[in-house]
Amino acid sequence: MNIKGEAVAIVGLTGAAITLWLGMMWAPSVSIAAFKAPEAQRIFYWHVPSAWAAMIAFGMLFVGSIMWFFKRSEWAWRLHVASSEAGLATGLMCVWSGCIWGAAEWGVPWDWTDIRLNTFAMLTLLSLYLVLGRRSQPDGVETRDTFAAFGMYGFVLVPVTYIATRLWQIRHPGPVVATSEGSLNSDMSIVLFIGAISFTVLIIGYVMAGMRLTELEMRLEDLQNQYEERVQ
Amino acid sequence: MSGQTYLTVAYLGMIGALALWTWTVFARSRTLEAKIESLEKALSKNESE
Repeated sequence: MNIKGEAVAIVGLTGAAITLWLGMMWAPSVSIAAFKAPEAQRIFYWHVPSAWAAMIAFGMLFVGSIMWFFKRSEWAWRLHVASSEAGLATGLMCVWSGCIWGAAEWGVPWDWTDIRLNTFAMLTLLSLYLVLGRRSQPDGVETRDTFAAFGMYGFVLVPVTYIATRLWQIRHPGPVVATSEGSLNSDMSIVLFIGAISFTVLIIGYVMAGMRLTELEMRLEDLQNQYEERVQ
Repeated sequence: MSGQTYLTVAYLGMIGALALWTWTVFARSRTLEAKIESLEKALSKNESE
């Protein structure tokens, strides 16, 4: 039994839980004048690290997809599969927490005119398509090529999402860390940093466990084929 | 619902969902390992017969 990825994921999950607790109990409150829902602002300590982790996962998805095309290695395919699943988990966390905050602060959970919201949602939907698509299609080179193409070209949404609030700020707040307009309060930065580290560890654990899972699936398929050949 | 209660419910939902996802990954791994083990046993038995 190989539990390295699982152990790393547990450490990350524990860190995420600690971040939530610190964000709720320890981080300073924001100005009542600046926010309509100042308590809901604390979702920021979950929302930003989950977005960060999702971006790491989408980066890994790009690497796995491109390496599958050029190297045709099983390792690259396993990275593609594991990172699409990890990207879905953290992407959903980011979208969900964003909707909760939007509902409290803006009065609506979603703004269809905001570029950042929509490009990030498209990235999450892309990983959902890859996860569901792979489970419903028989494995083969053509199937892998199709999904890897989506993983590769879909990555263009990552830089677009990153620069969206800088170029077309509509509703989503702009960057708050180390900007020319100042940075976060130091206690807020500590909680955000713990969150970012925890989610990074969590995403690494998810990818490691996911790659192991894909390896097991392949091994099982191979054994099933051997068994069927012997029985016939 | 007060801001604090809203936040607590949201937080519990999010950490619960992530814990459930993590548990699902672990459970899938255990199921696959059990299937592989039983197939390997069946194959080695088949080989010895």
